[in-house]
Amino acid sequence: MTGGILVVEGLNHAFGGVKAVAGCTFSLDAGRVGALIGPNGAGKSTVVNLLAGALPLQRGRIVFEGGDIGGWPMYRIARRGLIRTFQLSREFGGLSVLENMLVPPPHQQGEDLLNALFRPSVGRCEDRRHVSKALEVLNTFGLYNLRDQYARNLSGGEKRLLELARAVMAEPKLLVLDEPMAGVNPALVERLCEHILRLREAGITLLLVEHNLRVVDQICDQVIVMAYGRTLAVGQMAELRAHPEVIRAYLGSAEA
Amino acid sequence: MNDIVYYMATLAVLFCIYNILTLGLNIQFGYTGILDFAYITFLAAGAYFAGVSALPRAGGTDQEYILGLSWPFPLTLALGAVVAGLLGVAVGGTILSRWNLRSDYLGIVTVAFGTICYDLVGNLTPLFNGWFGLRGIPQPLNRLLNLNPNTYTLFFLGVCVVIMLVLWLVANRIYHSPLGRTMRAIREDVDVAATFGKDTVKVRMLAMCIGCVYAGIAGGLLIEFIGGIAPDSWTTAETFIVWAAMIIGGQGNNLGAAVGTLLVTVVFIEGTRFLPPVPGHPLLIAAARNIAIGVLLIVTLRFHPQGLVPERRARAPRGWQAPGAPMPASSLSNNPGVGR
Repeated sequence: MTGGILVVEGLNHAFGGVKAVAGCTFSLDAGRVGALIGPNGAGKSTVVNLLAGALPLQRGRIVFEGGDIGGWPMYRIARRGLIRTFQLSREFGGLSVLENMLVPPPHQQGEDLLNALFRPSVGRCEDRRHVSKALEVLNTFGLYNLRDQYARNLSGGEKRLLELARAVMAEPKLLVLDEPMAGVNPALVERLCEHILRLREAGITLLLVEHNLRVVDQICDQVIVMAYGRTLAVGQMAELRAHPEVIRAYLGSAEA
Repeated sequence: MNDIVYYMATLAVLFCIYNILTLGLNIQFGYTGILDFAYITFLAAGAYFAGVSALPRAGGTDQEYILGLSWPFPLTLALGAVVAGLLGVAVGGTILSRWNLRSDYLGIVTVAFGTICYDLVGNLTPLFNGWFGLRGIPQPLNRLLNLNPNTYTLFFLGVCVVIMLVLWLVANRIYHSPLGRTMRAIREDVDVAATFGKDTVKVRMLAMCIGCVYAGIAGGLLIEFIGGIAPDSWTTAETFIVWAAMIIGGQGNNLGAAVGTLLVTVVFIEGTRFLPPVPGHPLLIAAARNIAIGVLLIVTLRFHPQGLVPERRARAPRGWQAPGAPMPASSLSNNPGVGR
């Protein structure tokens, strides 16, 4: 299998004796919105954690933009342009919403100790640029008026939006969203979908782990179905609906 | 009159030294969220190395110690700072880079480290004169200045104030820089910071090292001021006095650190050290001191958990206008909503 911004081959991961992922293989083309779906316990979250480097790679290959990133530490994978969000919003609670947005921009010169001590203007200049971008993004996401609030004081829905807005600030090439619609009301689901499509237009490839199949149908153009830790099928949602194995994984069957 | 000045100057010197200590702990915990329960050990490292580099070669005296370099003042302090910093890197490096432990486990490991150091220094007499400790450290620069004790205290106060102000400035610059922001992000959630490309091990090591250098400098100043140090003055319990000062003052705020230091270490510890003992109860004052600090800590955490001077919330710079924001409802109808 070649091509694709992300190529995953023969991924395996066991927690003790439990095989969470057992042979996951797929590839995602650049500029697409991919979906990783499957019943609970299919191993989707483990795959996301492996992609982001949050779990050590046991077996398999993860190729991102032509380079093998398997086994890299989290920060190196992120610097390469693969950014993930979390199933439960994990904002920097004690930082303001705007500060949350200023943490992700890559290659910050102001993070260097010597610059911080002897040339504080370097960081200030750079921040000015990031602040203006951050405020623009916050405005797009409807969070502009909350910019000075502590992130921990936001509502659940606002935290979800911040999670996405913050990820945008990291200038990702591939954005992996772990259940972005979890616990979100229908009106907000619509808005999140619009934002996701806008990100695709901006040239970001996305991979969603999602349970809401209507959302998947609506915005994803490449669907990967997982069950029992392995990939069952890859394709368009419409074809997959008729796929016998997919139906069996989701609904169970008499012979199971 | 002279006595009061001397007494106040002594307290002021101790305030400066303890404030440097609290600032360093604030960088470790208040900024970065590193639980370092062996913080006082780094003060001891700075103190011992500043001490043995200031003392002449051992042998003529009844003390046993290594080095004995007879170095002049700023060099001794520098050595103490460097050794404490390196020790911080070693401890941080072992704990953080190899296991990347969660903060709470890190705390437990540092307690063990502190205990090991305490027993090692106490029992290994050739190192720093064991349980008796070092004494007779010459007063910095006084061979040149030849001041009387009272004037000398004022001189030393000046030195301490300058060093404290410089270190305060350093701590503030770090806090307000992108580095400080990354440190605080790590404090809030290490994993999320890492998923945004932050080398969390490196940044935490850096915070650990800077904090330990602060402790080393404080230790160096302390031993040069009081002339000696023994293991009993840096037990784990002492670490918690510094912690109490930081928590009561306000974590993540350097002004808070100073307020906490003033209250806890100067008013409660040093301020009461010279009170007349109550006849028949020789340990009463020491016990009352610890009780008072405990009560103060509990009251603060109950009624003002952020501390007396809490961390300030960052505010967005004024003067930036979002395209059409803050969007009034009326503008939505005649504007398709796209930024110009």
